[in-house]
Amino acid sequence: MSVLDIKNIHIDFPTSKGVVHAVTDVTLSIEKGRRIGFIGESGSGKTTTALAAMRMLANPGFVAGGEVHLNSLDGDTNVLHLDDEQMRRVRLRKISYIPQGAMNSLNPVMRVDAQIWDAVVAHEGGLSQADLQARSDTALDGVGLDPKVVGRLFPHELSGGMKQRVCIAIGTCLTPDLIIADEPTSALDVITQRHVMQTLREMQEKIGAGLILIGHDMGLMAQSVDDIAVLKKGVLVEFGPVRKIIEDAEHPYTRELIASVPLVGGDSFLSAQASPPKGERLDKPLLELDGVSKQYGAVTALHPMSFALDGEEPKIISIVGQSGSGKSTMGSLMLGFNDPSAGQVRFKGDDINAMSAGAKLAFRKQVQAVFQDPYACFNPFYRVNHALKFPYENFGMGGDVQTAMEEACTAVGLDPSLVLGRYPHQLSGGQRQRLIVARALMLSPKLLIADEPVSMVDASLRATILANIHDLKDKHGISIIYITHDLATAYHVSDYVMVLYHGHVVEAGPPKEVIGDPQHAYTRLLIDSIPWPDLDRDWGDADDARAALDELARIGGTPETVYRGDIPGFTLGQG
Amino acid sequence: MSHDNAAAPETAAPDMTGITRKQLKRMRRFDNPWNNPKLIWGIGLLLGIVLLGVLGRFFWDPELVFTGAGMPRQGPVGIENLRGQVGTWAHPLGTDVSGKDILALLIVGAPNSLYVGVLASLIGMSIGIFLGFSAGYTGGRVDDVIRVSSDVMITIPPLLILVVVQASFGDITLTMMAILIAAFVWQSPTRLIRAQVLSMRESGYVQMARLSGASNMHIMFREMLPNLVPYLFGSFIANVTTSIVTAVGLEVLGLGPQRVPTLGRVIYDAISSAALTQNMWWWWGFPTILLGVMFIGLLLINLGLDEVSNPRLRKL
Repeated sequence: MSVLDIKNIHIDFPTSKGVVHAVTDVTLSIEKGRRIGFIGESGSGKTTTALAAMRMLANPGFVAGGEVHLNSLDGDTNVLHLDDEQMRRVRLRKISYIPQGAMNSLNPVMRVDAQIWDAVVAHEGGLSQADLQARSDTALDGVGLDPKVVGRLFPHELSGGMKQRVCIAIGTCLTPDLIIADEPTSALDVITQRHVMQTLREMQEKIGAGLILIGHDMGLMAQSVDDIAVLKKGVLVEFGPVRKIIEDAEHPYTRELIASVPLVGGDSFLSAQASPPKGERLDKPLLELDGVSKQYGAVTALHPMSFALDGEEPKIISIVGQSGSGKSTMGSLMLGFNDPSAGQVRFKGDDINAMSAGAKLAFRKQVQAVFQDPYACFNPFYRVNHALKFPYENFGMGGDVQTAMEEACTAVGLDPSLVLGRYPHQLSGGQRQRLIVARALMLSPKLLIADEPVSMVDASLRATILANIHDLKDKHGISIIYITHDLATAYHVSDYVMVLYHGHVVEAGPPKEVIGDPQHAYTRLLIDSIPWPDLDRDWGDADDARAALDELARIGGTPETVYRGDIPGFTLGQG
Repeated sequence: MSHDNAAAPETAAPDMTGITRKQLKRMRRFDNPWNNPKLIWGIGLLLGIVLLGVLGRFFWDPELVFTGAGMPRQGPVGIENLRGQVGTWAHPLGTDVSGKDILALLIVGAPNSLYVGVLASLIGMSIGIFLGFSAGYTGGRVDDVIRVSSDVMITIPPLLILVVVQASFGDITLTMMAILIAAFVWQSPTRLIRAQVLSMRESGYVQMARLSGASNMHIMFREMLPNLVPYLFGSFIANVTTSIVTAVGLEVLGLGPQRVPTLGRVIYDAISSAALTQNMWWWWGFPTILLGVMFIGLLLINLGLDEVSNPRLRKL
């Protein structure tokens, strides 16, 4: 029997530019105990459709037509006909919602068990303290948290994964008919993601509820759901069992989504270049880290590290790790935004933190960066040209700025007439990130630091932007430090990979060895935790994930570096 | 994967069918935030007061502000005073106990009050921008000193100090009074700008500018300042209001400029000459109304600016 039937639903958002039909004529049913994945890019209407079932649409959106039937309601089952009080009773008890950012959805001034009691009291009235305690203990126990300890903690005392599991505990404590999980793991790293998703699956199976999982990661969907609904621009383009969608998708958009997930060992999305141009020959290494470490108060973000990159033959060096591994700290140290606590960062033999103003300007010209957030990188006050034009003129590069901008845009696959002269908010995230790549290209630096350049870009565009960055090396002879948490892309683009864990390099070498055949326990764990869009490559169950986390805790102290071979032009200091 | 992908919006395109003309007009207003009714009304009211001062000098004789310009204690046109004399067109808004013409007092006095407010606020804002940027961008000791001193200054009631200072000065000019008031309106812009600069300093575009080798001056004034304009405007208008309130407060206590007519001065004279017991409501009533118009105008501008800089407050 189906839990929820959505029939011909239309959702409109009146805006200043006219009415946006966010969702058009979507019909689907969610069976009891079945998991449905809603997949699509940002703005495709996946969250909007799911939220319409809870009547929690963001202003000014409204349901313009269609019906939503929650079959466990008495009498009239159409959710859209309920009044506010009836709707309040439905939320959480019949349909619960697990939000995207768990850090923002827990009340920061309440203990965890009190937040579960809140939910219970709101729907079942006053219970005795002992009953409430029993309820919260069961709920926390179900998601693998120790009720004696975690229940008495405040949200800020929990890690991201624990907070998300608390949200799952709240979402399942009233045994709802349907759970809506809105990208529940998007803020978590892969290892925690696996654990949280398995916890969610376990709880959902236990209470036999339907589950709507909203996401944009085909791999995560393949590992977690039974059916997939693919949405594009508010239209349901394909709906079917997961195996059929993954292995034999009918709609070209679905195939594109699946193809956009890079696989370790799969075909490369890059076209090989015969002979990359050589960089200049230098006596000293282009970039050299000499015993560099960084402490923030008592926390060591980066343990002493030494490497040298000679720029003669352009290379892409990947630095891979989870959040908190020290990889972004490395990036800002190399850019001179941050002083090292010990050691020196040298560019062509000069310490970058002891440069004169003139030398600093020359250093800036030769070392550029692409940052994670394409939305923040443009000053909202200026047209996007400003971001390209200003450095070009400031560095005193000869030639016509306009031509240089147009050439750079064309080189990264943007139509100059469409993007130049616009304001940043008029461009999509992908366009902005490409413009930043175009900016780097225009300045033709010797070294580019790319700090998570594609993690905030829609999946279908990631490969294109990475190809743009890869071209900087192949066609323009720029050496690149690629900082990422995504092993699959690092596998394809890089010449050398360093895996960072708690500020230590745990494994380093060419990508075929490090990622293709990991030796260190942490690298193996990272690779096992990636959700593959491959149904035959199972993710394991919650016990596996727990065992893996225990393993991680064991090696936590002082991990050993595993060296997996060298490449010419790059030397990692031993020890 | 095609390259056009990046250009295509991911959301469904807006549909313009079935939208009435009136709705369309409202939508356009949404597109140009400066086309805001509150803002326009507020600016209109203030412009009205400025025009009263400018045009009034052409159509009315400003010499009538002096003692003995007309019959004393005359009511406005058609209004009888306590002596049974009916007001005439010679003094449309009546006269005070010494025969000064109320209309002339308003024409000269209203722009003076506005002038004190605007000048004090301009000086205060300039100090605030300088200190706020220094504190937020430099950090460290400089930040500590500026932050602590502005926090301390905020706790001191300005009227208390100003009463003492002005009482010891005796007669002062309008400009002098504006400078004195400015010493008490720089703290809130300093705090506001410091907070904004602190958060902007870590933003992506400031990092991009640093990568571009921009100087500190460029980052502060070319990258950060333009984005602060809505805040600066709002803070400026709020400061004008505070400054006028402070100035009028001092004037009503008899501590303002003695020889220059201002709205507060007129009210002070009315109170001290027992206009209330003589039922000469026009003496204090008209300046009060004008002050009211001024404050409503400033309030509307502030609300309007709020909507301009914060689209969430705008309603379709």
